[in-house]
Amino acid sequence: MKVIRAAVDEMWSVMGQMTSAVFRHGLPMTDKIAARTALTNFVLHIHPVRVRRSWIRMSYTLCLGGLSFFLFIVLTVTGLYLMFYYVPSTQHAYQDMRDLQFVVTFGGLIRNMHRWAAHAMVITVWLHMARVFLTGAYKKPREFNWGIGTLLLLITLLLSFTGYLLPWDQLSIWAVTVGTNMAKYAPIAGPYTRYLMLGGTAVGDATLLRFYVMHVVGLPLVGFLLMVVHFWRVRKDGFSGGL
Amino acid sequence: MATEATDRIAARQRVEARRRQVEASTTIRDDSEDEMIVSFPEFIFKEFIAAVAMTAFLVVVSIVLQAPLLGQANPGVTPNPSKAPWYFLGLQELLSRFPPLMAGVAFPTFVIVLMILVPFLDRNPSRRPSERKVAIILFALYMAIVVALVIIGTFFRGHEFIWNWGWVLGNPQTCGGAAC
Repeated sequence: MKVIRAAVDEMWSVMGQMTSAVFRHGLPMTDKIAARTALTNFVLHIHPVRVRRSWIRMSYTLCLGGLSFFLFIVLTVTGLYLMFYYVPSTQHAYQDMRDLQFVVTFGGLIRNMHRWAAHAMVITVWLHMARVFLTGAYKKPREFNWGIGTLLLLITLLLSFTGYLLPWDQLSIWAVTVGTNMAKYAPIAGPYTRYLMLGGTAVGDATLLRFYVMHVVGLPLVGFLLMVVHFWRVRKDGFSGGL
Repeated sequence: MATEATDRIAARQRVEARRRQVEASTTIRDDSEDEMIVSFPEFIFKEFIAAVAMTAFLVVVSIVLQAPLLGQANPGVTPNPSKAPWYFLGLQELLSRFPPLMAGVAFPTFVIVLMILVPFLDRNPSRRPSERKVAIILFALYMAIVVALVIIGTFFRGHEFIWNWGWVLGNPQTCGGAAC
């Protein structure tokens, strides 16, 4: 009996240790505990420990920057799921899309979410830019972060555009043909730029692979790095505050 | 731990006081008297709610609306009209009206560079809307033009990208008479 009781006590204390190893400060019942939690938690450390109520008023930020970032996360997660089933070659791509739509468990739902989240992200990023302009939040000392934001808008558009080709249907290749045709009008560099984008003179196998690689690795990586700088600068330059 | 946390909070407050000093010329309103709150859990809970709401919205939309998937790509058959994705339709619209070098290259480059330079071109230090009438009107005009061009490109451009009042989004595109 004694041995069992000792074992239970020991187990209980190990479990307590496990809990406190992950959740160090218990429930945030007081400001002090809440502040300590925010300081020592990796996910929460992006936020300042204390904020003024006027900075985070929803009628000021409209949550647009946060929603853009959240949509990026949604797109990463749904995108990973799609990558399990999608082969970027003209032989397989379209059939894989049909399979995703009709065969793969939740394939249609995940594909739809990826598509609509991408459209939503283009819209929220635009609106975020409009909000920042209209509140004059780009003014000193945030000039540099406005520039980073402009680049992030471009990355968002390019991500959306490269993704547009991947279903390999009539909508995809002709939209990308029209889009890449715009590039060839640049003086001197134009035709070369188009050749570089397409990996040839027309949209084909090489184009699909290039767009795929940029869509799933190149652009998200650049975008992620710019986001890190963007968020870091928000903290360093200070919140722009309410109007 | 407690003193470490308090020290860091005090340090942050000093940084903030300095920020307000630096910013005194541009901040429209002194916010130093505004209520200070601890961001966890109140602020983070709000963000969480926004994320959950967006997820719910996406799931509902994705159940109701099917993402388009036309016939397999066929380089030999060109749909008419061929349209870029909607966010590039403003550019395609410009291309149909102006010389390609201007509409396809010079104009977008100019707009991007102008956008990045906005904080340096806008010499007005005020953030109060009533004191920024010119900036706000110019920006509203820019947004209105972008939105108008995208709407025209999406809804009012039919066969041969010619103006068409009856064009409806999602109409089956034709490839030389046959539906794609």
